[in-house]
Amino acid sequence: MREIIKLGLILLIITTVAAAVLGYTNAVTKAPIENQIMQANVLARQSVLPDAVEFDALPADVFEGYDNVLEVYKGMKNGSPVGYTIKANSSGYGGPIEVMIGIGLDGIVHGVSVGNHTETPGLGAKAADESFKGQYSGKTVNTELVVIKSGVPKDNEVQSIAGATISSRAVTNSVNLAIRLFNEKLK
Amino acid sequence: MSLGRTFMKGILHENPTFIQVLGMCPTLAVTTSAVNGVGMGLATTAVLLGSNVVISLLRKFIPSKIRIPAFIVVIATFVTVVGLLMKAFVPALDKALGLFIPLIVVNCIILARAEAFASKNSIVQSSVDGIGMGLGFTLSLALLGAVRELLGAGSIFGVNLLGASFQPALIMILPPGAFLALGLLLALYNWASSKKANQY
Amino acid sequence: MQNRLIVSSSPHLRSDEAINVIMRDVVIALLPATLAGIYFFGMGAVTVILSAVIAAVATEAAIQKIRNQPISVNDWSAVVTGLLLAFNIPATAPWWMPAVGSIFAIAIVKHAFGGLGHNFMNPALAARAMLLASWPVQMTNWVKPGPDAVSTATPLALIGGMEASEQSLPSLFNLFIGNVGGCIGETSAVLLILGGIYLVYRGVITPRIPVVYVGTVAILTFVLGGFKFDYMIYQLLAGGLMLGAIYMATDYSSSPVTPKGQIIFALGCGIFTSIIRLYGGYPEGVSYSILLMNVAAPLIDKYSRPRVFGEVK
Repeated sequence: MREIIKLGLILLIITTVAAAVLGYTNAVTKAPIENQIMQANVLARQSVLPDAVEFDALPADVFEGYDNVLEVYKGMKNGSPVGYTIKANSSGYGGPIEVMIGIGLDGIVHGVSVGNHTETPGLGAKAADESFKGQYSGKTVNTELVVIKSGVPKDNEVQSIAGATISSRAVTNSVNLAIRLFNEKLK
Repeated sequence: MSLGRTFMKGILHENPTFIQVLGMCPTLAVTTSAVNGVGMGLATTAVLLGSNVVISLLRKFIPSKIRIPAFIVVIATFVTVVGLLMKAFVPALDKALGLFIPLIVVNCIILARAEAFASKNSIVQSSVDGIGMGLGFTLSLALLGAVRELLGAGSIFGVNLLGASFQPALIMILPPGAFLALGLLLALYNWASSKKANQY
Repeated sequence: MQNRLIVSSSPHLRSDEAINVIMRDVVIALLPATLAGIYFFGMGAVTVILSAVIAAVATEAAIQKIRNQPISVNDWSAVVTGLLLAFNIPATAPWWMPAVGSIFAIAIVKHAFGGLGHNFMNPALAARAMLLASWPVQMTNWVKPGPDAVSTATPLALIGGMEASEQSLPSLFNLFIGNVGGCIGETSAVLLILGGIYLVYRGVITPRIPVVYVGTVAILTFVLGGFKFDYMIYQLLAGGLMLGAIYMATDYSSSPVTPKGQIIFALGCGIFTSIIRLYGGYPEGVSYSILLMNVAAPLIDKYSRPRVFGEVK
């Protein structure tokens, strides 16, 4: 009996010290971590809506009913709105692909960035390359975008990644969803 | 055992990857590029050093019956601390290594060294062993990462070495390539050591 | 004095079978399809075939030399592996790709696991899977037969709805003779079947595995495809089914030994092929099905062992 108490006590001491160390580290790193996350998010939003300086989150009921839309932010500069950033998910080849779309008040897609994904490196992962996602910049919100395999893309078309049609379609679906949301709710 | 020998043991004769074959999961998963391999190796070395020192310090204090839970608590604490520090101050590396940072806890190398060495040797010896094993692990991860990155992306540490006409074999940065590369490197390492052994 | 008397135990039966005779028969059986591939796809096919075969033979010689084993390339088994690998690659592939595949097939899949007779997977198919994972764009760059290299989708991709159907489905006749896009050796169903009949006649393969495999795919695609006879024939003639069923699934060392086991093996191949083709993300399912069943072959052998005479059950 004595031995069990002794063993328990020693474990208690070890775990208490460990907990103290962890608590201290957590307190010290909490602010920097939050800061990092916030900064990363602002940078991501700015990359698709370069004109904006600050971002306000829109409440979830704005995009209720639009499945796969994760968040919507209004981009502001000098107090007046310049556009919206919309983050959406859609099923790619290997899982969901996070896409951030920036649409200006002028009805033009200012930029698209591809976030977390599990697409194949060298194929679907190329969706994050500028050569692919750069195609969306400059497209208007007037029509839905279509993926084509070969030929020169027209105004409402984007060229698919060679060998990665499913990934290309997934990103395009997210962009189309953002365009739809913009036209129906945000204009 | 001399400190020099303790140190070199971790790098050559008892290399955690090629001789002890420990910690295979992070080895295979994280070495998609040389820099990822090095990052993981260094994070593991930090944890290994810390846990070896603490466990050696406490070796007279921890009764043998509860040594495993005690070791795990110490190791898990170190890993969490390292993980939090990385998230706060080097987020790029944290993103690259992803969920393999918390998995350092179950990296067999750390528990193995705690049990086999740190719980039975002085603090100085244990810290040198930790550094040696950790560096050995880092070097082997760097090697594996470099091979996979070279064949799978044409570069090492991000420096494109093979030119634009090289068509990288994508399989090398995917899991099958990891197993193939590790298997061939293991064979090479063992062939080289057996040749050396046969010299005497 | 040289020992000229051979001492052995019964049964004292002599057979003409020798490895090189068997392998030569396979090469002969594949010859019509080879010529058809060259006819349809031109110089590209020649490059791929030569690259694959030469690399396979060279690798085998090199490995055996390094390991101080007698060089056995004259048993033609490396030639067969190289040729079958070439059949699974599009004619537009760069010259080094079949060579890399051959090196992988011979050095790793065959010799690292014990050499001829010990490979647990079909070396040509495993190499094809490795090439597909390594260079997916080049491995799926098919062209229509003929002098101009017009890029096309394979018949299976067209019917799978994966590709935009600006092209119409090829006719069943074209599928039968091989005038369609695809890898070098898989297109001409009639010539592959002809070769298969030759192999059965020579006793190299039994019809068990090919018939059960193709039959299973026929039944499943007929039933699951909506009871359309044309659709079923299309599925049988398109893609690598004939090539796989007759020449790959019948590889001695990676398929089961027992007759019952072979039937189970072929059934499994057929089921997987149909499921992958109809419901999976790839248009073609033959290579992965055979590889999966290869891995299961030892287990199938274990459970389909015939009873020894007098053995208590």
